[in-house]
Amino acid sequence: MLAFIGRSAIRKLITLFFVSVISFLIIHLAPGEPSQIDPLNPKFTQEVLERFRKEFHLDRPLYMQYLYFYRDLLTGKSLSWKDNRPVLEKIFERFLNSLPLFILGTLITWTLSFPVGIPAAIRRGSLYDRSTTFLAYLLISIPGFFFAYMLIIFVVTRFHVPVIGMETFGISSKGWHFLMDRLWHLLIPSVLGAAGGIAVLSRYVRNQMLEVESQDYVRTAKAKGLPADEVHYKHALRNALLPFVTMFGLVLPGLIGGSVIIESIFSWPGMGRMAYEAILARDYPVILTVNFISAILVLIGTFISDLLYMVVDPRIRL
Amino acid sequence: MRRILTWVPILFILFLVQSYFWVPTYEEQTRGNPERLTEYIEASIGDAQILNPILSADSASSTIESRVFEGLIDRDEDLKFRGRLATHWEIFEEAYFYVNDEAWIPNFGKADSKAIIQLLRDAIQGRESRDGPVSQSLANIEDIEALPARSFEVSKEERGTGGATVSLTVRVTAPPRIRLHLREVDQELFDHLSTVLGKEYFSSFDGKRFIEVSPEALSSKKAKYAREFLPATEHNPVIVFHLRPNVKFHDGHVFDAEDVRFTYEAIMNPKNLSPRISDYEPVKAVEILDPLTIRIVYKRLYSPALGTWAMGILPAHLLNAEVLREEGERRGMDPEKFSLRQSQFSRRPIGCGPFRFREWKTDQYILLDRFEDYWEGPPNYERYTFRIVPDLLTQEMEFYAGTVDSYGVQPHQVERLGRDPNYQNFTGLAFGYTYIAYNMRREPFTDRRVRQALGMAIDVDKIIRYVLYNQGERITGPFVKQTDFYNHAIETLPYDPEGALELLAEAGWKKGPDGWLEKDGERLRFTLITNQGNNIRQAILSIAQDSWRKIGIDVRTDVLEWAVFIQERVNKFDFDALILGWAMGIEPDLYQIWHSSQTRPNQLNFVAFQDQEADDLIIKIRQEYNHERQVRYAHRLHEIIAKEQPYTFLYVSKWTAILDRRIVIKEVDSEGEVSYSRIKPTKTGNYGFHFNKWIKLPEIPRFEMEG
Repeated sequence: MLAFIGRSAIRKLITLFFVSVISFLIIHLAPGEPSQIDPLNPKFTQEVLERFRKEFHLDRPLYMQYLYFYRDLLTGKSLSWKDNRPVLEKIFERFLNSLPLFILGTLITWTLSFPVGIPAAIRRGSLYDRSTTFLAYLLISIPGFFFAYMLIIFVVTRFHVPVIGMETFGISSKGWHFLMDRLWHLLIPSVLGAAGGIAVLSRYVRNQMLEVESQDYVRTAKAKGLPADEVHYKHALRNALLPFVTMFGLVLPGLIGGSVIIESIFSWPGMGRMAYEAILARDYPVILTVNFISAILVLIGTFISDLLYMVVDPRIRL
Repeated sequence: MRRILTWVPILFILFLVQSYFWVPTYEEQTRGNPERLTEYIEASIGDAQILNPILSADSASSTIESRVFEGLIDRDEDLKFRGRLATHWEIFEEAYFYVNDEAWIPNFGKADSKAIIQLLRDAIQGRESRDGPVSQSLANIEDIEALPARSFEVSKEERGTGGATVSLTVRVTAPPRIRLHLREVDQELFDHLSTVLGKEYFSSFDGKRFIEVSPEALSSKKAKYAREFLPATEHNPVIVFHLRPNVKFHDGHVFDAEDVRFTYEAIMNPKNLSPRISDYEPVKAVEILDPLTIRIVYKRLYSPALGTWAMGILPAHLLNAEVLREEGERRGMDPEKFSLRQSQFSRRPIGCGPFRFREWKTDQYILLDRFEDYWEGPPNYERYTFRIVPDLLTQEMEFYAGTVDSYGVQPHQVERLGRDPNYQNFTGLAFGYTYIAYNMRREPFTDRRVRQALGMAIDVDKIIRYVLYNQGERITGPFVKQTDFYNHAIETLPYDPEGALELLAEAGWKKGPDGWLEKDGERLRFTLITNQGNNIRQAILSIAQDSWRKIGIDVRTDVLEWAVFIQERVNKFDFDALILGWAMGIEPDLYQIWHSSQTRPNQLNFVAFQDQEADDLIIKIRQEYNHERQVRYAHRLHEIIAKEQPYTFLYVSKWTAILDRRIVIKEVDSEGEVSYSRIKPTKTGNYGFHFNKWIKLPEIPRFEMEG
């Protein structure tokens, strides 16, 4: 076990190094310069442009820029070019904003997918099964922004309450009231975010259940005369859960993802929007740091799911 | 298990949905909330980047800065300068020239400084006998004074042969110099004086004679240093600002000349990387005469200089070197590298504008409170809120709901919203235009007739009607259409494909057997490009291609990502024709875009427009301090550019904004009588000019007087 952890850690560090090099190269090889350097602005003389490039180390060879960047990042000193705020502080602030959205979205996805998917598997081919399948494909194929607009227009014109932003704009009340207001503002974007997730995950649950239901031990359980609920929800479900345990580890990178579209439509100051705006402004420190952190999260996520697999399924001891 | 799987999600969802009952409705936020009337809320797509007027370059930041900071001057309804932190100002000139003791003065001979002064005095006395302009220049001289000869030494570094730097000493023994005080800036002074002192008097002055360079080996650099240290003539325009007394910053500190000097020095400080540095580069010296008088001397004639003092003034006492060093140390950053850019000031600015900063939540909102001690009296609104709503549709929804006070109408919505009686609407022209540029380094664009024919083949009115939903106007030249500089006498290029064919035929392009235009067996073929992400430009691209194909020109098109478009194509002149737009300011300075010296890579005259008369006019305009003369030059320049057609000038777009009808101007006269009036936009369409007098009423007002 320990040996596995050790080997895995070394392998992941090497991967991380390559990720850092490749992402750095991709961003620097892509055309364009930081938005501070605006060659089409008549006010910008060549000297000013040069001075900006120098300030951002853009006049140095690429490998030196790489070293500068990761030195600053690892000592926590890197600053965003756009507004000169420390990158880590900026990301942390956004992370805290995106976190509730992520948590609620995940909760909704995972609590709803099972009750939706399991009956579909049990009553395969029934009207219920076919209509959930239809709904799932509908949800997957409707573009998110369209769905979001429809939902906003519906809620705003029907119920006359604000839905955008993290809280009702200018709200002054405190305590429970404020908490519920926040929850309401969380609800609609998370439902939107979760809609696609539920559609996919409930299909997945259904397939897993179908597979397990055809196993011999389920037939045995049925033959023993166990109540149907016990067969499906105890014998079958437990075994069907196995792959989902490992999927949980893979949810981790979502922490730093965030959806550009949903965050923009709902004026949500989250990670996705920040990363997107950083890309548009060629704010290299922010882009690269987000990239680096998400690489770390992906690696940790896969690591956790490996471990979980080992814990849950004793057959995979290495 | 089954029960858990059913009930947990149901309860969970119910808990989430019940939060609805706690949310205040729009009704409660707007109508039911009397405080809403004292607050103005604006929505913006993007957040501000840095709230420091000398550092910011984005429009969101400058919106906030214009409320928090105040400049020495700004422009009034008619675009004339008016005093803000400065009550009034004077502009005059100090002109210098070196006594050229070798020059032969007509009817006199060689002259020393005394004789020169006498000659000039006599000329001023007897100016009536001379030409009008010369006589005017002479009358403009207030005082003449001789400066004695002086010598000085300067150490310089030069790159010697082999690339190594060599330090050298330049010894200058400057001859006596004459200083002229002029009542007004006069760019033609020396031209006119040479009618008195002889044509060659200034041009024959040889600075090299007075310069010694050691070591001797580098004496080839003499000419360069002569230009630097001993220019034959020098114009030094001077602006003296008289500052408003008892103006307070938001922290109570009293504003004075020290703050003005500090702001200038902060811009020039290379550590701060101010994007405005080029505006202030012509400044020679900033001198404080007394706490309320400041004198700015310029190195050369540069008339856009006055406009730059609309820049917001920073509080010196909060940002000087000592305070910054302290902040750097406190935040554990290298105090040597710590500059205004890193300072927390840009996150919570303090100025002396009508609103004071309260709170900034990144990508959510910026809140400002009115400044009770504002020198012009506090604004009517108690609060100003800048909300960041990145999506236009949600912006629109919030506007209808009443939680945002204005909305910038999209071109396709103007038809519907611009006439909605529930809102007051404003429209105006943008400061900028869209054009098709031709690369005049390449055939066939070297021929003016071809460029003109290409322009005539496109139906711009149709573009405006169908692509812009009528939200645009034709434009014929490079000046802002709402300013005096724009020459309205110039007619737009007619849509005339037949005429275009005739012009092309004159230029040698005739229809070949296959229907394409050709000359010497070669087909008229080129590529038109534009950047990705601008749907309007892409639509124009297709329309232009289609129009040109119709008259037999084989046009290919290409749409490129912005950075590639600029770096690989525009900056390297690798294009035939392109569609792009310029955003402009009010100043008529066209040097960067149209002067023939600006045609090297990375410069903005990428079409390589070259015209001697245009060059002269461009220089004259930026050196002219008199508005009428500037307008005259600008009109002529406009004419030349319109005739040469280096661009096909397409259109300037129109914007429309709608505002709640309940927002009005409230004024209180000296007897305490309150009067309300409708918001009227200025000449340039700026409806927010009187923003400080705005207020929102509980009901839609009726203005019977105006009908």
